[in-house]
Amino acid sequence: MIELKNASFSYGAGSTVRDLSFTIDAGEFVAILGANGAGKTTTVKLIDGLLKPTSGSVLINGKDTAVTRVSERARQVGFLFQNPDQQICRNTVREEIAFGLTAVRGDLGEDGIRARTDEMLREFGFTGEEEPFSLSRGQRQLVALASVLAVQPEVIILDEPTTGLDYLECAHIMDMISRMNREQQMTVIMVCHDMEVVLDYARRALIISGGQLIADGPVEQVFRDEALLARSSILPPQIIGLSLRLGAGFEQVTTAEEAAEAVLRLRTGKEAAE
Amino acid sequence: MRDLFQYVPGNSLIHRLNPVTKIFLTVVICVAAFITDRIPYLLFLLCVDLGIGFAAGVPRKALGILKGLLRIAVFLFVLQALVVRRGTPVFWIFTDTGLVTASKVVLRLIVVCMPLAMVLAVTRISDLANALVQVLHLPYKYAFTLTTAIRFIPQFLEEMGGIMEAQTARGVEFDTKNAFRKLGLMLPLCAPLLISSVRRSEATAVAAEVRGFRLRTRASGYKQYPFAPADLAVLLFSVLLIAGAVLI
Repeated sequence: MIELKNASFSYGAGSTVRDLSFTIDAGEFVAILGANGAGKTTTVKLIDGLLKPTSGSVLINGKDTAVTRVSERARQVGFLFQNPDQQICRNTVREEIAFGLTAVRGDLGEDGIRARTDEMLREFGFTGEEEPFSLSRGQRQLVALASVLAVQPEVIILDEPTTGLDYLECAHIMDMISRMNREQQMTVIMVCHDMEVVLDYARRALIISGGQLIADGPVEQVFRDEALLARSSILPPQIIGLSLRLGAGFEQVTTAEEAAEAVLRLRTGKEAAE
Repeated sequence: MRDLFQYVPGNSLIHRLNPVTKIFLTVVICVAAFITDRIPYLLFLLCVDLGIGFAAGVPRKALGILKGLLRIAVFLFVLQALVVRRGTPVFWIFTDTGLVTASKVVLRLIVVCMPLAMVLAVTRISDLANALVQVLHLPYKYAFTLTTAIRFIPQFLEEMGGIMEAQTARGVEFDTKNAFRKLGLMLPLCAPLLISSVRRSEATAVAAEVRGFRLRTRASGYKQYPFAPADLAVLLFSVLLIAGAVLI
C-alpha cells in the first residue's frame, strides 16, 4: 500500500506539489492526470523515492521512502520512464534485462538471474542478442519495460508510457501491463496524456492541478465531470464526450460497443412505438 | 551547474559591450595569468574577474562559478603540493615551494576559467556567433559549431541527470561514499549519453540543413556589432593588464 501524507515538494522558489494526501491499495490501476507542469511527474517521483518530500511523508507498505535504501525501493517499485534511452545502458537486450536483476535481486543467484532473464526474453519476444539502441522506439520501450518487470516489483510507475508509440506498440505494452495487474495484483500508477488509454486501462483517476490533488475517483466518473476537466485542461475521451452530448440513455456508455448497443436499443424502441 | 553556461539577461555596460571585446578581454586575462609569476598579481586578476561579475549585475553567478571552481581547486592544490618535492618542509610532507607552486596553479585555474564562464553569462550565444562571423570573419560553420557545443552543455547535464535518475530507480546506488565505486557505476552511463548526443547532433544538423545552413554567409546577419567608446576603454584596460603582467 502506498500512502502520501501531506507530501509537498519544491524544486526551488515556490511549491511544485502541495499537501498531497491519498492512498493507493495493492492491485489498483491508477491514472494520474493533469496539464503539463501540474506536478504529475513530481508526484510519481515522490512515490518512487527519487525525490524526498520537503514536508509530509510518503510510505510504501508502512515504510517511509526517505529512509528506505535505493536497492530495497527498486525491488518494491519499478519505474518506466517516458524516454527509454535514459534507462537503457547495456549492449544487448539480455545484458539490459539482467542489469536491474543484478542490482536488486542478488538473492536469485547467477542461475536464478539467468533463468529470470530467459523468461522475460521469451515473454517479450526477444532473442537477447539484439542491440537495444538499434531497435525501434517501441521496441526500446519494450526492452525498458522488460528490465523493469524482470525484478517483479509490487508497484510499477509508468511516466507517459505511450508517448511516441504507434497504436499496435501502445496496445502491446498496455495489454502486457494490464495482464500483470490482473494476474499478479501488481499495482500500476500511470501518468498519461492519452485519455483513450486511460479509459481503456485505468480504474481510478487522480487529477492534479497547480500541484494539488483536485479530484480522485473512478475513471468514468471523473471523465463525466465536464467542469472539472475544463479546469484541469483535460479533454474527455471521444466516446465519453459523445455520450455526454447525447444525454439520456447514454449515461453508462464508455466503449464503442456500448454506444452501438444504446443506439440499437433506442432504434428498436422507436420502431416498436411506431 | 546546469545554469552555469546560461545567459543572464541584463543591460549593464558589460552586457552592452561588443561580443568580440568581451572575448578579447577574456583572452587577455588568460594570457596575463600565464605571463605573471606573482601571486599578488594573480589575486588582482581574480578581483578583476569578480569585479566584472559585479559590474555586469551577476554577482551570484560570479560567486557560483568561483564556488564550483574552488572544489576542483582544493583537489588540485593538494595534488600539486604533494607532487612538488623541492624546497623546505613546512608541514608534514608539504614544502614551501610546493605550497607556492600549488597556489599559483590553483589561482591560474580560477582566473582563467572564470571569465570563460562569465562571457557566456553576459553574451547571447547568437550574438557571440554573429559577431565572430561579422567582425572576425570566422566561417559561419565554425562559429555555429562552437556555439552549438556551448549550447549543448546544459542539455547534456540535464540528460545525464535523467539517466542517473533512471538508473537510481533501477537500484543503482549512486549515493555511495566510495568514489571509485561511484565512478564504476557512472561509466556504463556514457553509452546512453553518447547515443543521445549523436541523435541530438544529427537532428540539429538536419534542422540546420533544411533551413539553408550552407547558404549562410557573413552578409546574412542583419544585426550589426559596431565598436563603441566603452569597447575602446576595455581594449585600453586589456593592454594595461598585459603590461602589468609583464612588468610587475
